[in-house]
Amino acid sequence: MSGGLPYDEAMRAWAAAAPAPERACPLAVPELLKGFHPDHRPGGLVPLRAGPDAGATVPPELAALLEADSLLEDIDIAGAPILDADVLVLGGGGAGCVAALTAARAGARVLLATKLRMGDGNTVMAEGGIQAAVGAEDSLQRHFEDTLRAGHFAADRALVAALVGDGPDCIRWLIRQGMGFDLTDERQRMGGTLLRRKPGGATAARLLSYRDFTGLEMMRALREAVLLTPGIALLDRHPALELLTDDRGRCGGAALQDLEQGRLVLARAGATILATGGAGRLHLAGFPTSNHYGATADGLVLAYRAGARLREADSFQFHPTGIAWPPHMEGALVSEAARSAGARLVNARGERFVAELAPRDVVASAMLRELAEGRGVVRDGRHGLFLDTPSLEREQPGILSQRLLTLSHLARRAGFDPAREPFLVRPTLHYQNGGVAIDSAGRTALPGLLAAGEVTGGLHGRNRMMGNALLELVAFGRRAGAAAAAGARAERPRNLGLNHLAGWRRGLLAAGLDLGRKAPLLFPPYGNVTAEGLLGRAA
Amino acid sequence: MPGSEIGGEEKGVRLVFDGHAIEARPGLSLLQAWIGAGLPLTENVGCLGQGVCGACRVLVRRTGERIAGTALACEVVAEEGMQVAFIDHFPARRPHAYDLEALGDSWSIPEQIDRVFPEARHCRHCSGCDRACPKGIEVQRMVNLAAEGQVFAAAGLFDHCVMCNLCVAACPEHIDPAHLGQFARRMSAALTLRPADLMQRLHEIEGGGQRIDPDAPGAQPPAAPPA
Repeated sequence: MSGGLPYDEAMRAWAAAAPAPERACPLAVPELLKGFHPDHRPGGLVPLRAGPDAGATVPPELAALLEADSLLEDIDIAGAPILDADVLVLGGGGAGCVAALTAARAGARVLLATKLRMGDGNTVMAEGGIQAAVGAEDSLQRHFEDTLRAGHFAADRALVAALVGDGPDCIRWLIRQGMGFDLTDERQRMGGTLLRRKPGGATAARLLSYRDFTGLEMMRALREAVLLTPGIALLDRHPALELLTDDRGRCGGAALQDLEQGRLVLARAGATILATGGAGRLHLAGFPTSNHYGATADGLVLAYRAGARLREADSFQFHPTGIAWPPHMEGALVSEAARSAGARLVNARGERFVAELAPRDVVASAMLRELAEGRGVVRDGRHGLFLDTPSLEREQPGILSQRLLTLSHLARRAGFDPAREPFLVRPTLHYQNGGVAIDSAGRTALPGLLAAGEVTGGLHGRNRMMGNALLELVAFGRRAGAAAAAGARAERPRNLGLNHLAGWRRGLLAAGLDLGRKAPLLFPPYGNVTAEGLLGRAA
Repeated sequence: MPGSEIGGEEKGVRLVFDGHAIEARPGLSLLQAWIGAGLPLTENVGCLGQGVCGACRVLVRRTGERIAGTALACEVVAEEGMQVAFIDHFPARRPHAYDLEALGDSWSIPEQIDRVFPEARHCRHCSGCDRACPKGIEVQRMVNLAAEGQVFAAAGLFDHCVMCNLCVAACPEHIDPAHLGQFARRMSAALTLRPADLMQRLHEIEGGGQRIDPDAPGAQPPAAPPA
């Protein structure tokens, strides 16, 4: 990163110019993205050398995991205790919980296995909101077109149509689970209207919310519902190490590591739903991340190795406003709600440089351009740009204390007053746009394996809109849960084991790859553990 | 994690965490201090600093203090002389079962709350739950309001709950305040939230309106610029 202006100097420029004047951006969007989005950096993508998508490109950090060997051999699973279920759900975030609830209510016996604790994922951290076209001036068609356009027309149209078509019914379903939503008038609980805001890149106000902790409100309701639903057995601290496949190549469950007991257990199921979330903790290109601790791409690794296809696995979302300073909070998210409410982004010269509510990839790229061209702010060696919360508070007195609660809380922990000092922000790795390819029932290319939530690809094209992640996990959690419950009865795995690994290893060797590298990762390196260590082996 | 290393010249703060004597760079949270000390982290962690998941529960005692208090390790800055211990998430006893969809007669809400959470009437006003809450929620008042059937008031008090369940661990009467609070919140939404615009749109969709045309002009990529 090239130089920038020192913080004190930049603060003087900001104070003198506030509210900041706009500087026109001479670069057209495609050039801006090509020149500055981290997806397009030189050396940022490498071709996969093995597996069903060999030849497709992904970031090197992800390729290293996708081309790694399994942690397990046949001998490891011999004699391991077996748990039986109709449906196995891997992952206890939003998508996993919705899928488990749906499958259990359809009569399936469900096992929900999660690496951390049920609820500890990216869903609970979501702040901004959830999209659903409920406004009279809005329509499913507009939501459909906005989503395709924001994703640069790379998304699967059938999936997007399913997503937006389910939107209003998903909101009703969430209310039935006991989730609250903001209303335009809190006294009008029956017959009032939902509070709607315009997410970046949208043509209508379509973002529904619960204050600025929508994900927490959603996850509280889902957690209680899962705990109270008979038919769901919960396995906290049980990460999946490998999918189990039968002699016809069907997925029939997963090998789980019980971290409490330090032993392997085999979960056998008629259908398995992958809901393992994203990959932020791979810190692609050295970026900080807004993701939760467990976002290490485990699901992509397991699915790919067993024969599922990936799509847009080279496309990641960098959220424009991650904390750049103080260092110990680096990467934590300042919600888009701040920009939705009118907060501006300002460079070290006191200038605005981008339309703040353009799609996230455009805003992030414009910020990285300012930083690369020396118009960033440097504080204690950290580079960032200003998010002008003081001007926002001056223009809308009380907004920080009444509407942007999480933001104010964040500033307090960082040790400053957001009404007097702007945040110092820079893009942070936020979301995996692509993932495991699915059909509109959530089925992957591997029979018996379904997927839902951030681990999937095809819904967001090459850039996700704000508010479509929470919608996706509900819409496709329900679809995958229903399809899994229906399919689980029809199919029973037979001769279950690690049948796919022999072919996988042959493929790695044929491509000249090293079998010594193992995956999934399970925990980031600074967690001071390795998956091999947890299995009692030297790393 | 970036920024968690102890600098050469900087003087660290010393504390004892789960029996390990560790040193942390000033300004780090307890959770970052644990990571920075090279200790293994496979549980008691989730959002890693946002303070919303309630996973990193700890018991903290500061130098000179007689009483240990509860906190979230991602939200408390490490201090010289602290004694800290993670509090595991033991599986809860769950006698408080209900089916939200079966709460038919809203005239009987107070009876239904009493049936599911009979212990709530036995609150002995010890304030243990209030002291345990890392978010400063008036937990005990919520319990008392819920026991009286004041559902909206109780639900409102639990707006900032992050499900750490420290109040559940603290309650000598096994009231399970965290779950009672969620019961009140979920009941409020499920029984009374009926937005007209949402119902209108659902009605249109169910009547066959709002069809999506995948071939509409707005659903096509812009024409490629001339080469």
